[in-house]
Amino acid sequence: MSKAATPPEGNEQEFYAKRAKVYPREVHGLFARLRTAGVLGLLGIFYGAPWLTWGDRQAIWFDLPGRKFHVIGWTFWPQDFFLLALLLIIAALSLFFFTTLAGRLWCGYACPQTVWTEAFLWIERRIEGDRSAQMKLDKAPWGGRKLAIKGTKHAIWLIFALFTGLTFVGYFTPIAELMPRFFTFQTGGWETFWILFYAFATWGNAGFMREQVCIYMCPYARFQSAMFDKDTLIISYDEKRGEPRGSRKRGVDPKEKGLGDCIDCTLCVQVCPTGIDIRDGLQYQCIGCAACVDVCDQVMDKMGYPRGLVRYTTENAMEGKVTKVLRPRVVLYALLLLVLMAGLLYGIMSRNPVGIDVIRDRNVLFRELPDGRVENVYTLKLLNKSDSLREYHVEIRGLEGAELVIDRVMPVPVPAGGVVELPARVRLDPVVLDAPTAELVFIARVAGEPDAGNERAGRFVGRMR
Amino acid sequence: MSDVRDPLYTSLAQRVIAILWPSFLTAGLATVLLFTWIDPAELSLYVPGAEGVTRLGAYSAGFFGLWAITAVSSALTSYFGRPAGR
Repeated sequence: MSKAATPPEGNEQEFYAKRAKVYPREVHGLFARLRTAGVLGLLGIFYGAPWLTWGDRQAIWFDLPGRKFHVIGWTFWPQDFFLLALLLIIAALSLFFFTTLAGRLWCGYACPQTVWTEAFLWIERRIEGDRSAQMKLDKAPWGGRKLAIKGTKHAIWLIFALFTGLTFVGYFTPIAELMPRFFTFQTGGWETFWILFYAFATWGNAGFMREQVCIYMCPYARFQSAMFDKDTLIISYDEKRGEPRGSRKRGVDPKEKGLGDCIDCTLCVQVCPTGIDIRDGLQYQCIGCAACVDVCDQVMDKMGYPRGLVRYTTENAMEGKVTKVLRPRVVLYALLLLVLMAGLLYGIMSRNPVGIDVIRDRNVLFRELPDGRVENVYTLKLLNKSDSLREYHVEIRGLEGAELVIDRVMPVPVPAGGVVELPARVRLDPVVLDAPTAELVFIARVAGEPDAGNERAGRFVGRMR
Repeated sequence: MSDVRDPLYTSLAQRVIAILWPSFLTAGLATVLLFTWIDPAELSLYVPGAEGVTRLGAYSAGFFGLWAITAVSSALTSYFGRPAGR
């Protein structure tokens, strides 16, 4: 944005322009209703989802201490990390796809920053009143009334934020147990910390930072214009129709006075959550919330002018050209998305539920047995990523003449989504080794499951160099 | 916006955000990558003095440690981004 190459010389303090607080006026209309629906739906999902159960556990549970992510019927392990990476790539690409098609749809209707800011604004308006009442209150000197109003607002904000923080942590630790523990002061230190941290971030971002998050902190807001072309849906003021702007009495023919359709009521500026004037053209601060569209349409209705002086349109449409929906980049994004989604689905479906990890005993390199053989000790971890109990057979290969000793009866049962640790010893006569160490492979076999990926290499130490 | 009075250049708050926020994002990413690769419960077996550390504690401490490091990097970038010789 800023092309200023050199900051001001000398005392920088005097150039410091304080941010003017934005008081967005409440707006009603089609797009406001759509956003309210979006806000209610998304908040409902956020606060409701952790309460769903699947079998005897939370349906969506990112069990960090257990290093397992449960999503409905699926359980993901750290070994499935590439699936998460794939999911994130799909999410990013979806954002690009929708941005190219419809501009900042995400920012205006679905971004958590917008969603929680809307909720906080709603609370603020119920307590402080609309824009003019808020501005008056902020200008008024501190007194009992102001203190009571501001105090009530912040108390309700903080309760809401705290509930948000609790719900957030409820995705990581079962929420049905977390809630009663929190209210009886029995949460652990880190749990409490993260609840308060998230609550504080919610309160700060939705209560104070608001549009500054979009303008100064959001990387997407900075680069989204790269996805724009002349066929992207944007919110635009129809300059040809609106200018020259000017106030007039109702019923006066604007053409007689030499005016355009814009009556310069500045309502579009007053409703803007980022405090810009859409009539100045497309700006990167515009989050595409369409509040100005709603309010301008109402004004046009009152004046008896056609709607759409500020409207969703495209650059091509504004220039009187045809808007093309299917452009090469839209098709390309869509194809890429389809391929990646198919890949993700295949990746999830074809996951091997059987896993094995091998950890060498770190205290003793090797041990000499009375019969002249050498013994190495390992800990085997048998992983069962499926949702039912499986029976595991463990074998070794790759080391001729080696014997595997496990003090358990095969097969070893591993519970659903569980890990069984198995101490294992491998014995071998060192004369067969032509090097001090050799590699061997541990295999976990489960009847009815493919063997691919069920192997882990381990190192056998036969003698000192 | 090309005015030299652009608050981005002069406001301390903006500079602090520009240092802490990108480092927060990258520290989060680094934490995910690090602890996908390393299980702190296994690590605590071999690191002296770390016996009582829980996974949640290790994740949290790891995140703040990484945030501190990435914040140093951001702060240096911000510092060297200013014109020299004044």
